[in-house]
Amino acid sequence: MRNTMLIAKREYLEQVRGRAFRMTTVGVPLVFALIVGVGYLSSLNLGAGKHLAVAATDSLMASEVKAQLLGDKNAKTKVDVLAPATAIDRTALVGQVQSKAIEGFLWIDTTPGQAPKATYTSQSSGDFITGGRLKSAVNHALLDAHLTGGGMKHADADALVDGVSIDTFQVKKDGSVVKSNAQASFWKGYVMAILLSMTTMIYGMNVARSIIQEKTSRIFEVMLAIAKPGDMLAGKLIGVGAVGLTQIAIWLVAGAAILFSPIAAAILTGDFAVHVSWTETILFPVYFVLGYLLYSSLFAGLAATCETEQELQMYMPLAAAPTWLSFSLILLVINDSNSFWSVAASFFPPTAPVIMFLRMASQIPPAWQFAVSIALLLVSIWAVLWVSARLYRVGILMYGKRATLPELVRWLRYS
Amino acid sequence: MPVVELAGVNKAYESKVAVRDLSFSIDAGQMFGLLGPNGAGKTSSIRMMMGITMPDSGQISLFGKPFERESLQRVGYLPEERGLYKKMKVLQQLVFFGELHGLTPSEARKRATDWARKLEIDDALGKKTEELSKGMQQKIQFIGSVMHDPGLIVMDEPFSGLDPVNTKLLEQTLIELKEQGKAILFSTHRMDQVEKLCDSICLINKGEAVLAGRMREIKSRYERNRIIVEFEGSAAFLESPEIAEAKNFSGHAEIRLKEHGDAQKLLHEASAAAIIYRFELVEPSLEEIFIQTVGGKADA
Repeated sequence: MRNTMLIAKREYLEQVRGRAFRMTTVGVPLVFALIVGVGYLSSLNLGAGKHLAVAATDSLMASEVKAQLLGDKNAKTKVDVLAPATAIDRTALVGQVQSKAIEGFLWIDTTPGQAPKATYTSQSSGDFITGGRLKSAVNHALLDAHLTGGGMKHADADALVDGVSIDTFQVKKDGSVVKSNAQASFWKGYVMAILLSMTTMIYGMNVARSIIQEKTSRIFEVMLAIAKPGDMLAGKLIGVGAVGLTQIAIWLVAGAAILFSPIAAAILTGDFAVHVSWTETILFPVYFVLGYLLYSSLFAGLAATCETEQELQMYMPLAAAPTWLSFSLILLVINDSNSFWSVAASFFPPTAPVIMFLRMASQIPPAWQFAVSIALLLVSIWAVLWVSARLYRVGILMYGKRATLPELVRWLRYS
Repeated sequence: MPVVELAGVNKAYESKVAVRDLSFSIDAGQMFGLLGPNGAGKTSSIRMMMGITMPDSGQISLFGKPFERESLQRVGYLPEERGLYKKMKVLQQLVFFGELHGLTPSEARKRATDWARKLEIDDALGKKTEELSKGMQQKIQFIGSVMHDPGLIVMDEPFSGLDPVNTKLLEQTLIELKEQGKAILFSTHRMDQVEKLCDSICLINKGEAVLAGRMREIKSRYERNRIIVEFEGSAAFLESPEIAEAKNFSGHAEIRLKEHGDAQKLLHEASAAAIIYRFELVEPSLEEIFIQTVGGKADA
């Protein structure tokens, strides 16, 4: 144990004192904030600033659609109206789209006695944002026309068509009912899941890189004469894991300082209010440690069988597949965080850390599910460590030749 | 009580036998040379002594007890495949190795500094390993393997990569350690060093010990059939039927007699042909014994 802790301490100090640690501690949150910020800002202008034409056989309908489109302040749309429009007008509009004078035109056919038809013709086939806005505008206009045609006042019809906004509330375990914001909760869970998977992968990779470097520098033989391979692997995992926890602690403290600052308090209110519970605060480092141990032991075994970092990198996409799988399950989890597949994915050890945090974003799962998920993670960590320690024990003394699959099987049998 | 003892040790890797029925022992205050051509099984034997690999059969004892990892605290090891943490400062690295061997940080620091002074590298203590020359790194590794005052020192090719000045320094240090009562085992290809430093040797080939014992005793087993002649005049005597092989270096000849060659007869022939300044019957060098024993049988 003494040697394990000495090796862990050396590993920890070397990494914490390194430039890479300082750069990632500051750089990762900045890059992350930049990505989220750029993503948010660009989403504000999605489908905005378009120059469109609305052509309809019914002038009133065309004006109403235009009013609806201009009513959406975010869209900043410029709308030309052509009504009543004819087949010749349609050909002219196609010409305008072709010459890029307009980005597209909406053609509404409201022949009496038939269901209204609308088509949108544009330069771009994948502009679903504008498509959605047009659909909403046409439906609003049609409903408005029907209601006013039936004798309702125009303002009343508008108010009815605009609908009501729904506030969401959540019943907590203690029975209290609190206002919730599904979108903010989702983004909070998403960000935590990304941070979790990113740190797990980064530090898992660090373990692998450290093993390859030691193998390349031939220090293993010196170390093996002093320490047992198991102590060396354990020391490495503990040391690098402690570096990860240090970095997470720095981020959490910095994050808390920012969140509790007056500026953040002014911004993060109302719809933007984000609440990180104690459960999440405690479980984040727990799932980090478990996820890290699972992936780093896997990477350690892989690294011991490789000769160079380049060789190791070839295996990485494969080893990281469960993390990508976790993110591909996002919609499934959001749709119903308590569905069979959501619960199963939060039990499956490779996807458990990320999925559990995505589930927690919408509803804190029952305690027994955490217990099962953590227990299964512990069992799988033990199993992966068992295999990796054997590969490590033999692999670190093998130089100059890449191990074949039959050789790896022999290492497992004989070590 | 021998410090280290191997008794009937065997080790095979799949179909290749690395070590076969190897036995030898080293006492305290003894310098022992483990010799053999490349791939003979030297490193495999050393790795088993260090507990890095386990023997398939046979027994290894350290300090009078069957092998146990705790005994390694009293062993210093300089492997053939050397390495240091490149980004670490030299002193930090030595303190780390010292602590792994059971020293306290302050004691490890003191010993590292003393050893660095002794080996004339105290200027390097504050530098990162990657900033140092290969020879300097070798010295640091040497310090790392002896700073905990081990009773047994095992060194695989300890002189490779050292210049003549540092080789001399290391040789002198090893002699001092031997005089302090340490048992020292080293493997090398440099026969001149083995001849100069070792009390006993074990020559292994293809995993088997083909020659073992005290240096003097081994040499005495071999016939004195080499003659050094320094002369002036005709070298015609070098064509004598008593000679198996002769090398003439302008008045300095090295001769090997035939199996039953008569040295006295040759001396007569030589003195008849030239003025003889030196005619010395010498024992075979270790290199010759090595080549004679292993020659043509080595793998590499």
